[in-house]
Amino acid sequence: MKGTVYLNDKTGIVVIGATGREASQVIKESEALYPGIVKAGITPGKGGSTELPVPVFDTLKEAVSDPKVGKLLNTALIYVPPVSVLDAVMECLDNGIKVLYIITEHVPIRDSEIIYQEKVRRGAIIVGGTSLGCFVPSVGRVGAIGGKDPSVAFRDGGIVVISKSGGLTVTTAEMFRRRGWGTYMALAIGGDIISNTTYADVLKEIKGDPRVKGVAMLGEPGGSYEEQVADLILSGGFDKPVAAFISGRFQERMPEGVAFGHAGAIVERGMGKATDKIARLEAAGKKYPVKVAFYYHDLVKAIESLGVPRDFEDSTTEHVKPLYSTF
Amino acid sequence: MKLYEHEALGAIFKKYKIPVPRYVFSAEMNDAVRQFVEKEPGVVIKSMVLVGKRGKAGAVKVVSDKSQVEKVFSDLATREVYGEKSIGALVEEKLDIEKEFYLSVTYSTKDRAPAIIFSEHGGMDVEEIDPKLIHTYVVSDVRSVYPYQIRQFLVGIGFSDKELLRPLSEVIVSVYNAFWGSESRLLEINPLVVARSGDKRKIVAADAVVILDDDASVNPAVIYGARSAQGRPLTQREQDAILIDQGDHRGKAGSYVELDGDIAMMTFGGGGSTVTAETAIEAGLRIANLTDIGGNPPAEKMYRISRIILSKPGLKGVLVCGGTASNTRIDVTLGEGLAKALDDMNAEGKLDKNLVWVVRRSGPEYVKGLKMLHECFVRNGIRGEIYDSQLPITEAPIRLKELMIKHVGYKPEQVV
Repeated sequence: MKGTVYLNDKTGIVVIGATGREASQVIKESEALYPGIVKAGITPGKGGSTELPVPVFDTLKEAVSDPKVGKLLNTALIYVPPVSVLDAVMECLDNGIKVLYIITEHVPIRDSEIIYQEKVRRGAIIVGGTSLGCFVPSVGRVGAIGGKDPSVAFRDGGIVVISKSGGLTVTTAEMFRRRGWGTYMALAIGGDIISNTTYADVLKEIKGDPRVKGVAMLGEPGGSYEEQVADLILSGGFDKPVAAFISGRFQERMPEGVAFGHAGAIVERGMGKATDKIARLEAAGKKYPVKVAFYYHDLVKAIESLGVPRDFEDSTTEHVKPLYSTF
Repeated sequence: MKLYEHEALGAIFKKYKIPVPRYVFSAEMNDAVRQFVEKEPGVVIKSMVLVGKRGKAGAVKVVSDKSQVEKVFSDLATREVYGEKSIGALVEEKLDIEKEFYLSVTYSTKDRAPAIIFSEHGGMDVEEIDPKLIHTYVVSDVRSVYPYQIRQFLVGIGFSDKELLRPLSEVIVSVYNAFWGSESRLLEINPLVVARSGDKRKIVAADAVVILDDDASVNPAVIYGARSAQGRPLTQREQDAILIDQGDHRGKAGSYVELDGDIAMMTFGGGGSTVTAETAIEAGLRIANLTDIGGNPPAEKMYRISRIILSKPGLKGVLVCGGTASNTRIDVTLGEGLAKALDDMNAEGKLDKNLVWVVRRSGPEYVKGLKMLHECFVRNGIRGEIYDSQLPITEAPIRLKELMIKHVGYKPEQVV
């Protein structure tokens, strides 16, 4: 198999909520970039529609029984409104889909909890809510990650980028690409309180993959998913280089009540603040190849200092000149 | 969204049959309060604010001398607690308290499940309780939560009062059901008291903290009214910014929060905005606001938010910064929206030419968009540097700092 459990050369995507504005644009873009990776779309009431470059069905059951595409469907991309996400997830699980991406933002937490417990019982892989998708340059992509021209950010290489923020997943891949490191996989896991795929879940999946040379993780305040990475590493569960950046230190100095950025999870006892996360990861860094970047752009230096080899030549210099200056 | 205690009691505790003291809430002294007090031998009066630790601020008072009730009520119903104005006061029966427990239900990200947190040593701030005395029951199957499971848990942690096992386990399940049914993020009762009532004992919730999920299937703002999380009223510019996104779902430009600073931040994307603001602060820039523009807003929206951002008095520099957009058109947002705002402000004599600008942006049509913005800078005499994504996103605020020191003698904050 080429790729990872999240996205590989066997991946066949069915889009749930396919004819919506965002979903139909993603299907068209994906078809242009990686023809054939999206196999079908589902929109109740639009079955048989020809508005998309893929067949559209009313129900997933019809799609998986279709003689042409049915057998090829194994990955669902969910684009339905927040209150319909639980229903869409159950439709996928009950029809045998084992890898799901929830792109929808603002899924009710209670529904996320039910989804997570079902996922565990059924042994499925679910990424999100609030995921932007996954990119494996050697294989393809799931979702809108990287936009129309993903070559700006993504080139094949050895770095795995894992981020709660979708936008920063791409921005980080691009920063590395310009300095000589390509991406093996970029995964936007979303910042929901109940996250179906955490950083630690990903590290456990990829730890034996020889193509992984290093990991860049982007964390945010709230919850304990970043702390769990430190625990996993300290227990010997992952020993490849990890460069981390945790945003949100500044929020601890803000007047009380100023909330900004992604509404992360509640700060738990001794966990959840950016400084708590940084301290835990730095503690892991005393024994293992883990480095926390002070500034976001120091992630590049961190990967370099951890000895991760460049995949190609550095295309920029330390001092970037402006395109325009009016001084 | 956090509820006031009387809202939690009336809307949630009642529905899920969680025992509470007799109570009355009022914004001002009236006959309902007087009649209530008349029937009670003693009362507890609490300021109704959202902020916690009211007791320490003197905003919870026990009143046994009835002649004092009016005075205490009007004080607590109107006072400010940690800077937050009371919306009224809650008057409750005074309980004959034997013991105080701590009980809460919230989501644990460690277990990715609801967690019931209990301690026999309640009544004080949860942070002050010895962690060894706090116990957690994880609800790993939300389809079935029964009192017998809670009794097993209580026996397992060595709960000392066997007589209370059944009633306490039933109250805890009611509290869990309230948490789950009302789509809360947190439901906390501190203290959950054991009160004497004649020769009987009863379990009563003597406090109620409920934080609802803002993304719940029914939006809590629709039921309880929107409330600011700022702990202060919105400024005029913040109110104007909210209007930008109303009735127009194309992109988002109206998220705008003001701070005391002199650097305007026109930043894009949730994650990108956060790291940019963070770096600016770490670098010693005093930021004047926070924004989080995204989802490909039309030029009109960019025009309006640009004018709002630039109208804040006392600005010295401007940072326009975002990652490589997947969707947002750079020609539309910067080349049209922002540029038109600058042209108009200059024509109206409202553009400060002493401002130092750094722009860092990439995404669809960025070559065209950055060129248009540069032409706008030239025709309006604006001083700045414009970068694409060759410059790492968080080096932009650092570059702005360097330029400001050089050109306007800016004195950055010393950040420890």
